[in-house]
Amino acid sequence: MTHDVIPTQRRVGDPGHGCKRERPSTLIKYLVRRTLGWLLMIVVATNVTYFLAWSFLDPRSNYVGRKPPLSPEQIEGLLGPRNLSESTPLIERWWTWLTGILLRWDWGVSPTGGSVNNEIGYRMCVSAELVLGATIIMTVLGIWIGVYTASHQYKLGDRIWQAVSIITMNINIIVAALAVVILAINFNNWVGTRVFYVTGSSSQGVSGFFPVLVDALQHLILPTIALVVNGYAGTHFLQRSLLLDNISADYVRTARAKGLTKSQAIRRHALRTSLIPVATQVAFSIPAIFTGAILTETIFAWQGMGRYFLTTINGNDVHGVVAVAAFGAVLTAIGAVLADIAVVVLDPRVRVS
Amino acid sequence: MTNQMIDSEIQPPVGPDTTAERVPAKQLSKWTLYTRRFMRNKPAVFGIVIFVLLALASVIVPLFARWEVNEMDFLNLSTGPSADHWFGTNASGNDTFMQTFVGLQRSLMIALVVSIGVTVISAIVGTAAAYFGGMVERATLLIIHFFMVVPPFLILALVSNDAGGDWRVISLALIFIGWFFPARVIWTMALSLREREYVHAARYMGVPGMRVVLRHLLPNVGSLLVINFTLGVVAAVMTETGLSFIGFGVKIPDVSLGSLIGEGAASVTSAPWLFYFPALALTLLTVSMALVADGLRDALDPTSAAGGRA
Repeated sequence: MTHDVIPTQRRVGDPGHGCKRERPSTLIKYLVRRTLGWLLMIVVATNVTYFLAWSFLDPRSNYVGRKPPLSPEQIEGLLGPRNLSESTPLIERWWTWLTGILLRWDWGVSPTGGSVNNEIGYRMCVSAELVLGATIIMTVLGIWIGVYTASHQYKLGDRIWQAVSIITMNINIIVAALAVVILAINFNNWVGTRVFYVTGSSSQGVSGFFPVLVDALQHLILPTIALVVNGYAGTHFLQRSLLLDNISADYVRTARAKGLTKSQAIRRHALRTSLIPVATQVAFSIPAIFTGAILTETIFAWQGMGRYFLTTINGNDVHGVVAVAAFGAVLTAIGAVLADIAVVVLDPRVRVS
Repeated sequence: MTNQMIDSEIQPPVGPDTTAERVPAKQLSKWTLYTRRFMRNKPAVFGIVIFVLLALASVIVPLFARWEVNEMDFLNLSTGPSADHWFGTNASGNDTFMQTFVGLQRSLMIALVVSIGVTVISAIVGTAAAYFGGMVERATLLIIHFFMVVPPFLILALVSNDAGGDWRVISLALIFIGWFFPARVIWTMALSLREREYVHAARYMGVPGMRVVLRHLLPNVGSLLVINFTLGVVAAVMTETGLSFIGFGVKIPDVSLGSLIGEGAASVTSAPWLFYFPALALTLLTVSMALVADGLRDALDPTSAAGGRA
C-alpha cells in the first residue's frame, strides 16, 4: 500500500468525502494505477494456472475406456480442434488459447465441446447473488454486533455475543449448512408446506415479477444464513477490538465534551476511524467467502461457479479450470481495489498520490 | 535501603511495631506467569481439557473398540444407535462409533503435521526475508503476493485430486498453500525487530545471517508462532474437511471427519446419525482449539490487559 499520510488542517466534523471533492482527478488516477497493477497480477496468475492445470489434468483420459473404444486417431480428431490435444506443443496450445481470449474473448471449450463462455456467464450471476448478499449481510451484522459489544464491554451482552461468536466462527461451514438444512426441513414439515427450498437456486415454471422474487428468496435464504452464521464473527471481533482502542481516545472525549451523547460520539467519531481496517479485512475476505460458497453450493445443489469448479476438475476441463481461477483472481482484485477506495473515503489523513 | 539514623542523638518516637516481616517477592518465572494467566481464562482451560480428551480418545478408543473400522456388519445396515453400535451404522454396515474416532485421529494427524509445517516454514521465510532485505525480501514478497492471487483452494484441489487420497500428500499440499499468509504477517513483525540493537550487534560481530535469524529474530516472534500454530490446527482441520467433503481429500478405505460428514450429508434426513456424530466431533475439535488460541493470546501477549494482574 502506498498511501502518503500527510497531516492537514481539515475542519473537525468535515464529512469524509473531502478527498473526492477536493481532488477527484488524483483519486481516479490513483485507482487506475492500482487497478492496472492488479490487472497485471490477474494476467500472470491466469497464465500460470494454465500451465499448472495442464500438468495435473489430462483431457485424453476422458476418452479412455469408452465403449466402443475410440482409436487414438479418433481421440486426436476430437481433441485437436478443441486445442486440448497433447500432440501440439504446450507453448503452441498456450498461444492459441491466449490469442483466443485477447482477440475474441473466447475462453475455449471443454473436452466435450461445451463453450466455457456460455457456462461462466450464467453461473457467475448465480454465485454473485449468493456471495454478494452474504458478504453485505455478514459485514453489517458483524459491525453492528462489534459496536454494541464494544460499548457494553464486559457486560452480559458482550459476554454472550463473545461466546456465541467464537462457536459460530469455528463451526465448519459444511456442518453449519447441513444443520440449516435439517432445521429447515423440520420447519417445513411442522408448517406443512414448503417455505424453504433446500436444493437449487430457483424453481422451474415460475413467472411474473413477484412470484420470481419470492421464489428466489425462498431458495436464497438458507445458503445465505449458512454463510452469514459462519462469517460474521470475524468482523465482530475485529470491530470490537478496534473500537475499544478508539473509544477512550482524546478526540472521542472532546466530542463528548462538546455535548454529544455517548452513542453519537461513538458513531460519528470513534466508529469511523475503526472502520478502516474492518473495510480492508472484509474486502480481502471475499475470496475466502467464495471458497465457502464452493461448499455451500455443493450442499444446496446450486449451479454456480463453485459447482463448476468441481465439475471442471473432475472432467479434466483445462479451459474451465483456468476460467474459474481467473474469476477468483478478479474477485481478489475487486476486493483489494474496494479496500483502497474505502480507506481513501474513510480516512481523512490519507492523501492519495 | 538504609535504616540507620543520621543523627544518633535523636530518637525516633517509639510506637507499636506495625511493620510485618517482609517476604521478598518471589521472582515469577516466565512459564509460571504464562500458566497463571492462561489458567485464569476459564473458557481456555475448558478448551484444552476438551482437546486433550478428544486427542486421547482418538488414540485409545480404536485400540479397544468391538468393531474394526472397515468391518461390515451385514445384520445392521443403516441402523440407528443401539447397544451393539453406539453411534449406529452406515449403508455398508460400518460401525459409525469406530469410524468417528478413527476419522478424528486422521483429521488430527493431518492438522498437526500441517500446522507444524506451516509454522516452521512461515517463521523462517518471514524472518529471513525481513533480516536479509534487498533482493531476497523483494523476491519473497513477490512470491507471496502471487500466491494470494491464485485461488489456493484450486491448487489444493488440483494437487490432492492427483494424490489418490493419501493423507501424507494431502498434508504436503496443505502446507504448500498454507505457509504464505502467516509468512507475510511474520515478515511485518520482524521488520521492526531487525532494527533492534541486539540484532545490529550480532550482525556487526560477524554472526552468520541464518544464525541471527534463528537465535535472535525467531525467539522474539515466539508468542505469535504459538498462537499461529493453534489457529493453524483449526484452519487445517477446516480445509481438510472441506476437501474430503467434496471428494478430493482422504478417500475410502481411509476415513477422516470430512469424508464421514460427506457420507452423512447424502442421507441427512434418512440416517441423520451418520452426520450428527462426526459433526459433533469436528465442532468440539475446532471450537476447543479456538478457545485455547484465545487463552494463549491473552497469556502470551505482554501488552494484553485481558490477562489481568500478575
